[in-house]
Amino acid sequence: MLSNLPVLLDGLLVTLQLTVMATLLSWAGGLLILLSQLSAFRTIRIPGRIYISLMRGTPSLLQLFLIFFSLPLVGLEGMPMLAAVLALGLNSAAYVAEILRANYRVVDPGQVEAAMAIGLSPLRTWLRIRLPQMITASRPALINEFTILLKTTPLASVVAVPELTYSGQLITARTFEATEVLLFVAAGYFVLAAPIILLGRKLQKSVQSPGGKGVS
Amino acid sequence: MIDLDVVVESLPGLMDGFLNTLWLCLVSAILALVCGSLLALADRSGIGWLRVLIAGYTLTALSMPLLVLLYLLFFVLPEFGVTLSSNVVGVAGLALYYSPYVSQVILGALQAIPEGQFEAGKALGVPQTRLMIRLIIPQMLPLLLPSLTGLLIGLIKDSALLSIISVNEFMYASKVAVANTYAPLEIYIVVGLGYWLLTGLVDELLRKLEARSSRHFN
Repeated sequence: MLSNLPVLLDGLLVTLQLTVMATLLSWAGGLLILLSQLSAFRTIRIPGRIYISLMRGTPSLLQLFLIFFSLPLVGLEGMPMLAAVLALGLNSAAYVAEILRANYRVVDPGQVEAAMAIGLSPLRTWLRIRLPQMITASRPALINEFTILLKTTPLASVVAVPELTYSGQLITARTFEATEVLLFVAAGYFVLAAPIILLGRKLQKSVQSPGGKGVS
Repeated sequence: MIDLDVVVESLPGLMDGFLNTLWLCLVSAILALVCGSLLALADRSGIGWLRVLIAGYTLTALSMPLLVLLYLLFFVLPEFGVTLSSNVVGVAGLALYYSPYVSQVILGALQAIPEGQFEAGKALGVPQTRLMIRLIIPQMLPLLLPSLTGLLIGLIKDSALLSIISVNEFMYASKVAVANTYAPLEIYIVVGLGYWLLTGLVDELLRKLEARSSRHFN
């Protein structure tokens, strides 16, 4: 078991990389989808709506397979890591968009009017007034979404991305030590996820605290 | 490019898998609801060591990926002499994975009920179960149903993971179909539409139930 530790730690690192890259994609994508949902044009709103519904209504595993088998069509063969980042990130983006949309109304319209009155451009108003408050209010839900994304990364093992679960499987296949290896793998996810879950709970409480303004 | 013949040819197998997904999800959802309610009740019991135990279990379960949980049940239990069929492992895994989420949702809804109502019930001598069924649960339902709907849809989607431990459900049937026809895109698109319809239908039905359950509150 000890001799296999480097392989497992490498796997842990790949899991982290996968999570961070997919999270960045999900934030960028989520913001874009949110913008599409705020559009005045139905031709922009409806595709965004369908995207959200499809992503939230079908299994991530299926989405991963579809992306994995579609990549060769655009000339990207044998890139499991890319497929995993795309699948996890694009899936999570739909949830991020919904979270941001739910918190879009936390910003008092008076503030937007005030920004206009003192001559802030619409773009600046959006970036400096709306977005920061929206993100602050969304923090607990975004953290929750981040842990869910982290817990979805083992799916990448199915397309042979050498992340934590896959490393565990490699070792098990060679040594038949399923119990120790799997417990280590589970502990690895616990170490990554538990602090974030606890942080999310703390933020949730500060948002809900009576008299609090939802900003901690 | 899209060849519909391969889909038609695989349809019987896919239908079979779809029906298996339906009942696997139904059984694990009911189990998760029961276990989640028990966890919530135990958490409210106020017994110190029990609450610590549940807090530990909840945190462990919430930070464990479903796939790892399934592997643990599938590969580690046999080493302790407990060999379960893959169907049982799948259902138990889904139920274990979702019960802490259910318990959190229930605890959240319970918190929204003013403590005075429990005290009033006690003062009037209404038995605890009667109080829960007639007063507390009807008030909790409008709060519970949207979150439970989300969890049920999550459970249906996550049930696709059972294919990895070769439970013969929808996703597994689609893998078999892909292996037979070498047409992954066609098959997976059709299967995706199947899941989409199922989750959409569940969403729609439970939304109706939610509207019904909150009709006295508006």
